Amino acid sequence: MAGRGERRFLKNMPGWRASFNPWILKLPNNPERLAFVLHRVTGILLILILFLHITVTTTPATRGWEFWVEEIRKAQGITPVTVYFFIFAGIAIFHGLNGIRLLLVEFLGCCVGKPEKPKPPYISATLKAPQRTLLYIVFALWIILWMIAGYIIFT
Amino acid sequence: MVGYSRIQLWQYITAILLIFLLAWHFASRLPFLRGVDSFAETLAPDKVYEDLGGASGVLALALAYTALFHGLNGLRGILLEWLGPSRKPLVNTVVVILFLVFAGLATYGVVGITKP
Repeated sequence: MAGRGERRFLKNMPGWRASFNPWILKLPNNPERLAFVLHRVTGILLILILFLHITVTTTPATRGWEFWVEEIRKAQGITPVTVYFFIFAGIAIFHGLNGIRLLLVEFLGCCVGKPEKPKPPYISATLKAPQRTLLYIVFALWIILWMIAGYIIFT
Repeated sequence: MVGYSRIQLWQYITAILLIFLLAWHFASRLPFLRGVDSFAETLAPDKVYEDLGGASGVLALALAYTALFHGLNGLRGILLEWLGPSRKPLVNTVVVILFLVFAGLATYGVVGITKP
């Protein structure tokens, strides 16, 4: 029994490092796992960026428009500010598109296939269902939309 | 009998809301929709005032609150997975404090904005 201050369920809790452990990730032929890890990583990055975004967007009210004008002068061409916007766009686009896929698959139960009798080689019905095609569409759309966002931001 | 949690349902509801709110937010940064030539010009004071002042300010605040709820609730879930249920009160407190601080900041950013 776990004592005071000790963590419970230790055997089943490999910790946060496990999310990046290649022996656990098993990425070949496992795009769902890749999407899961990317969704988490982009989610954590997005909440940090959201804090920064809210703080920066508040500056017209807190520090006046002069400060804002000074800052947006740095948002032309390839500058650290536009690179930040480009990275932000990539993170947000992936998280959003994969989020829509998760809504369809998890919330609405769409594209997960029908249950079937297990038979060799015991591949889960969900892994053969259209949800995997949906996942490839997410990856393809992500790259396309990110490139379009880059064109808009840098030109 | 222990009541079941609806927190994941709210995560899905806020995700659906965010699809529409973020589409509006990203659209407001598209130069051809704002009648300007570049991305930087969509950040000009008069354009930002259009986004944050008046009725659009309500949408901006709805976006900030929804994104904060969705993001912090997601972070809470990840932290609880890593830290275990014994840290639940601590994680909940930190998440609520972060929500109140940044929601307050976002509210001030919209309410306190002046015409450029």
